[in-house]
Amino acid sequence: MPNTVTWARVKSPWVLHFNSGACNGCDIEIVALLTPKYDVERFGIKLEPSPRHADVLLVTGCVTQQCAERLKRVYDQMPQPKFVVAIGACACSGGVFAGDYNVVGGVDKILPVDAYIPGCPPRPEAIIDGVVKLLNAINPPKQKKQPKQEKQPQLPKEEAKPVAAQPEVSVASQEVKPVIEEAKSDAKQ
Amino acid sequence: MPNSNIDIVSAIESKLKDKVQIHLGQLGTATVDTSAGLHRDVLKAMIEVDEKTTITAITGLDLGANLGVLYHIRTSNAFITIRTEVPKDNPRIPTITHLIPGAVFGELEVSDLFGVIFEGNLLSGHFVLSEYWPEGVYPLRKDVKANEVKLNSPPAEIKQPTDKNIVKIIVGPQHPALLEPEKFAVTVEGETVTKVEPRIGYVHRGIEKASESRTYVQDVYLVERICGICNACHAYGFVSAVEKILKTEVPPRAKYLRVVDLELNRLHSHLLTLGHAGLEIGYETLFQYFWRDREPIMDLIELISGNRVYASLMTVGGVRRDLKDSDIPQIKTTLENLRKKLPFYRQLYENEASIKARMQNVGVLKREDAIKLGVVGPVARGSGYDIDVRKDEPYEAYGEIPFKEIVYSSGDTLARMNVRMDEVEESINIIEYAVDHLPAGPFRVDVPRNVPAGEAVSRNEAPRGELFYYVKSNGTAYPERVKVRTPTFANIPSFLKTAIGGNIADVPPNFVSLDPCFSCTDR
Repeated sequence: MPNTVTWARVKSPWVLHFNSGACNGCDIEIVALLTPKYDVERFGIKLEPSPRHADVLLVTGCVTQQCAERLKRVYDQMPQPKFVVAIGACACSGGVFAGDYNVVGGVDKILPVDAYIPGCPPRPEAIIDGVVKLLNAINPPKQKKQPKQEKQPQLPKEEAKPVAAQPEVSVASQEVKPVIEEAKSDAKQ
Repeated sequence: MPNSNIDIVSAIESKLKDKVQIHLGQLGTATVDTSAGLHRDVLKAMIEVDEKTTITAITGLDLGANLGVLYHIRTSNAFITIRTEVPKDNPRIPTITHLIPGAVFGELEVSDLFGVIFEGNLLSGHFVLSEYWPEGVYPLRKDVKANEVKLNSPPAEIKQPTDKNIVKIIVGPQHPALLEPEKFAVTVEGETVTKVEPRIGYVHRGIEKASESRTYVQDVYLVERICGICNACHAYGFVSAVEKILKTEVPPRAKYLRVVDLELNRLHSHLLTLGHAGLEIGYETLFQYFWRDREPIMDLIELISGNRVYASLMTVGGVRRDLKDSDIPQIKTTLENLRKKLPFYRQLYENEASIKARMQNVGVLKREDAIKLGVVGPVARGSGYDIDVRKDEPYEAYGEIPFKEIVYSSGDTLARMNVRMDEVEESINIIEYAVDHLPAGPFRVDVPRNVPAGEAVSRNEAPRGELFYYVKSNGTAYPERVKVRTPTFANIPSFLKTAIGGNIADVPPNFVSLDPCFSCTDR
């Protein structure tokens, strides 16, 4: 049964988008993902309005003082297991806004982050790549037993646009870490 | 067209002879120096002569012992700055909201960030700062260090509304209809909206303060990141203000290339909004169609600048990259393809029953209200209020390029969307004209890194309306003060008026017709 759930989750991750103080650059690229040119719904990735139905939380933007508490609350409402993807330079580290009086910093100051997608803003292809890498980390492809059945969602060749400098996407530890106390106190500060 | 018969400066001079000092040519048409309190008489005199007098922005300044308050006033043919000062230990100044209701947000912002108390402004409390912000700390004052502010801890219990009879619908900060975190508490009686209380500041990053600790070159990229949609306009607003202080004239080729960049920005922003409006009325096909046709424009931005979203083409002294002659055919083909699709969209917006039902006569804003509330851009032009900085005060190459100013008079949601629809076509014409008449020559001039002491204002027509920049320099490589007044900030007061009395279901289309952008609003 757990394998079935993982299978379903990997084949159709429902994502929730939360803007924690972004400039709209990353947000419109996420919306662009849903529209005809990129159309990630064909891979089963669906934008879900409610945190209670979502598997993956996409966070864009540096976390502002006013959003920190709300971001934490949205995360707490999501059912386990849940994954957090930080999209854009600001969500990864605070970006150009790090150190400003109303900015807490990157998303990892508040929540455990599973994947970082850098870029200002990351191209839609980079966001797809990041989500695919996250899904691979959740359910690693079984290469030894069934080498031919590696069916990871990939863009068809004619759709994929060659990008000269595709930013590296780093995936953090696979296990879901509990929100540590430090993060809580950070959120309050 | 601007009415050139009204001489606002001599009208002020004759009314308040020795009480004011007028400096012609500073910060717009003229600067009027006066004492706190008398600024209302200056404003009254201006409103008597010119009915189109309204506020653009209120700038706070830290001048050491005093706090400066600058009122930037736009009239039908002039741009006047009224300069007053208040002492730091008793920073009180009478409000101007009874003369121009649109000033309410501007006053609240200066009050939150500088601690100036506007006597008579009915709204109070934190406007952009967090509710846990410590009392008596005003972040834009020079003595406050950005990274040393400690916030109060949140209360253990969250307060619940006490009156059970009032139905308050809270929209945001996280809401499917809002891409950005912002809160609107809508009070309803049955299905009729009776009150709208906005709470902004969720995206407040303190960019105005951050720009003071970065060099002019770094600031171009910082202010560009105020908004991911109208980024070229922000970069242009900043560099043009700095160029005014430096007294630099950019080469003709750069002027045309800047127009191309600004208009591509407008194109993709308008297509985005026209589609977004479809999403809000439950017409998702329209949304997908518009966003499909927006992608080739993003490719064009990438073609001329190297990046899809942040073009970063503007730089002090010109543009960063030249346009290759070999790229011009692709620009023209893409624009021609888009132009062929426009009649289809126009007939949709004209004839489609579902669009008419959700947008016609929804959120009507009358012309006189539009002027009083100081709205800008397509919202103003949809209400028959003809302001367009490109026409009123032509900048860069706009004076040489023929184009129409689009004005609709019905003032409803449909009119505002139609303005954008027609502007898409005008933008295509402007870009085509610009690439056809591109002058030869250099595309950038060298400028010094240190900017001499001075101050300047700059206005440009962003996709959402008049975008205002005020830059003050002190002779170093770092600016003393950068003030940004974004078009959405000016347009939100009109929503608070037009939503009241309407149906709750009309709130989303009405709101989207303002083309809201909170990262601009909060900065």
